[in-house]
Amino acid sequence: MLSLALSNLTRRRLRTALTLLGVAISVGVLACLLAFGKGYEAGLGRELNGMGIQMMLVPLGCPYDAAARVLKGKTLEVSLPANSLNIARQEGKVEVAAPLLMATLPRPAEGRTDLWVGIDESVRPLKPWWKMTTGSRWFPDANSVILGAEAAATELRQVGDTFFSPETGRKFTVCGVLERSGTSDDSQFFVPLATAQEMFHQPNRITAVAIRLKDPTQITEVSTRLQQVPGAQVVTMAEMMGTFLNLVGSVRTLVSAIAIVALCISGLSVFNTMLSAVLERTRELGVLRAVGASRSQVFCLLSVEAILLTTLGSTLGVVLALATGRFVEMGVRLFVPMAPADTLLNLSREVIQQCFMVGVVVGLGAGLYPAWQASRLQPVEAIRID
Amino acid sequence: MVVAMYAKQNEGVHERVESKVLVSAKGLTKTYRRGTEEVRALDGVSFDLQQGEFTAIVGQSGAGKTTLLHLLGCMDTPTSGEIIIGGHSTKGLSDRALTQLRREQVGFVFQHFGLLPTLTVMENLLLPTLFSKREAKARANELLEQVGLTQRRNHHPNQLSGGEMQRVAIARALINRPQILLADEPTGNLDSVNGEAILQLFHQLHREGLTIVVVTHNPILADATQRQLVLRDGQLVP
Ligand SMILES: Nc1ncnc2c1ncn2[C@@H]1O[C@H](COP(=O)(O)OP(=O)(O)OP(=O)(O)O)[C@@H](O)[C@H]1O
Ligand SMILES: [Mg+2]
Repeated sequence: MLSLALSNLTRRRLRTALTLLGVAISVGVLACLLAFGKGYEAGLGRELNGMGIQMMLVPLGCPYDAAARVLKGKTLEVSLPANSLNIARQEGKVEVAAPLLMATLPRPAEGRTDLWVGIDESVRPLKPWWKMTTGSRWFPDANSVILGAEAAATELRQVGDTFFSPETGRKFTVCGVLERSGTSDDSQFFVPLATAQEMFHQPNRITAVAIRLKDPTQITEVSTRLQQVPGAQVVTMAEMMGTFLNLVGSVRTLVSAIAIVALCISGLSVFNTMLSAVLERTRELGVLRAVGASRSQVFCLLSVEAILLTTLGSTLGVVLALATGRFVEMGVRLFVPMAPADTLLNLSREVIQQCFMVGVVVGLGAGLYPAWQASRLQPVEAIRID
Repeated sequence: MVVAMYAKQNEGVHERVESKVLVSAKGLTKTYRRGTEEVRALDGVSFDLQQGEFTAIVGQSGAGKTTLLHLLGCMDTPTSGEIIIGGHSTKGLSDRALTQLRREQVGFVFQHFGLLPTLTVMENLLLPTLFSKREAKARANELLEQVGLTQRRNHHPNQLSGGEMQRVAIARALINRPQILLADEPTGNLDSVNGEAILQLFHQLHREGLTIVVVTHNPILADATQRQLVLRDGQLVP
């Protein structure tokens, strides 16, 4: 029966090929979409988890925007009093609380803006991906700076070089250079917190406190308590993720709509192919009935053909998605906020299975009516057509 | 149930009980509706076919020959009247039961061969067994041998001559060891040489005890049969 169905598909090669292509493209889009959703979520989760931060204390205002800015290396207009750090540190369930003071330094002569970040030792456990190049040391004195890999490259500085910042009138010694990490850290200038506060005239102010808990499950409890800190508010990473995903959600809805339209069109083309196959082969189907095929067997034959068509198409589509996923990802990155650094497309087995399921369902749906039509043929009606 | 009853009939073939009625048509009438007009293709046709009989249905074009053959082969149902096969009426049988009858009791040879172009000779031969889930390779080889097409088993229909296609069609009709072979103008599309070969094949099958009914315009074929049923305007001419 299967080989009979297969042999029927090979007889109108062009039509079969076109139908296959239609199914393949729509399933390919669907596969990319699903994979992208999964990959984005996973990538985002990984990135946030990698920081080991469960929550962040930011100034009052739009909390998500603030947290996102801190995470992505942008400055805030407002800041927190330094004592909020102490409050966080006194909270018994907090393992690490690291202060951050971020400030931009416009460099009109070079036509760019540098980002300076004031930190102290406590930030190191929160940035496990930091690797210093050989010879680097942690800040030996107040006028030391650690450069991100890119910052070091643009400044043409190595460990041990001195470094004058005309805008602030200060002279620094480069005590360390970070290896490239692919994060926003690469282009930043890190200085001791006190130096930053002085440089940017923010005595006793900080931009945010990044917090890691001893036990991540106590997140709600701790966040309600820290909510009391005056002038500050708590953003948990779960909330952050939700916000990011919501942002992406609207993009996804749009692409989903496109994928659904594409699937409908390919379903229609399968429908058309099958229906015209039934019309064309009326006589042959009559012969089948005449030599003893039951209605259900004829129905099965046509359904198998339709499913074969869409399954083959889905296979092609998945292959297509695998082949072109890179380019799709490049396009998607242009539109998606806060795209994680690692690959967005996650063509997992689960995604591939889902695509096949959709393919089979479309095939079944589109093949149902033609197959039913075929099964209704009386042997004699079919034979009579000349 | 239907099968059991025919298995018994099968033994009859070998005994060649001349008087045994295999098929009985009683007052067969078939009307077609063409728009508002009613066409009476068959009008009260009654006859008996004996087991092992070789019969020709002849008559002018439009007389209702094909219609009658289809009714005999359970390809269609009469408007009124009934067909009794092996003592059992086919009247009111379900589509499923009729399908089973077609598959197991009737071998039908179409005027246009009815071979599937995408399948090879062998696959075409085995087509009916695809639906009965019966292993029949040996039977297929035997039949190919009988119709002299063993070398052609892996060819496709478009690589065959008309006579060869007709022989494949006959072999296919016989694969499930039917009680009766029905052929609609089996020599209609063939030249006289190929027509003669088909005629010889029918003779051989007849000698083996098969009941055969052919619809034909070919006087040679009609004269070679034991009995002729002449149709005119849907009625049997006595
Ligand atoms: N499906 C149909 N719808 C309407 N009329 C039909 C149909 N099939 C057959 N007829 C009519 O019934 C009559 C008998 O047709 P049938 O095919 O049985 O004739 P026939 O004896 O086989 O003719 P021929 O020798 O030309 O094959 C004809 O008048 C034909 O036009
Ligand atoms: Mg006819």
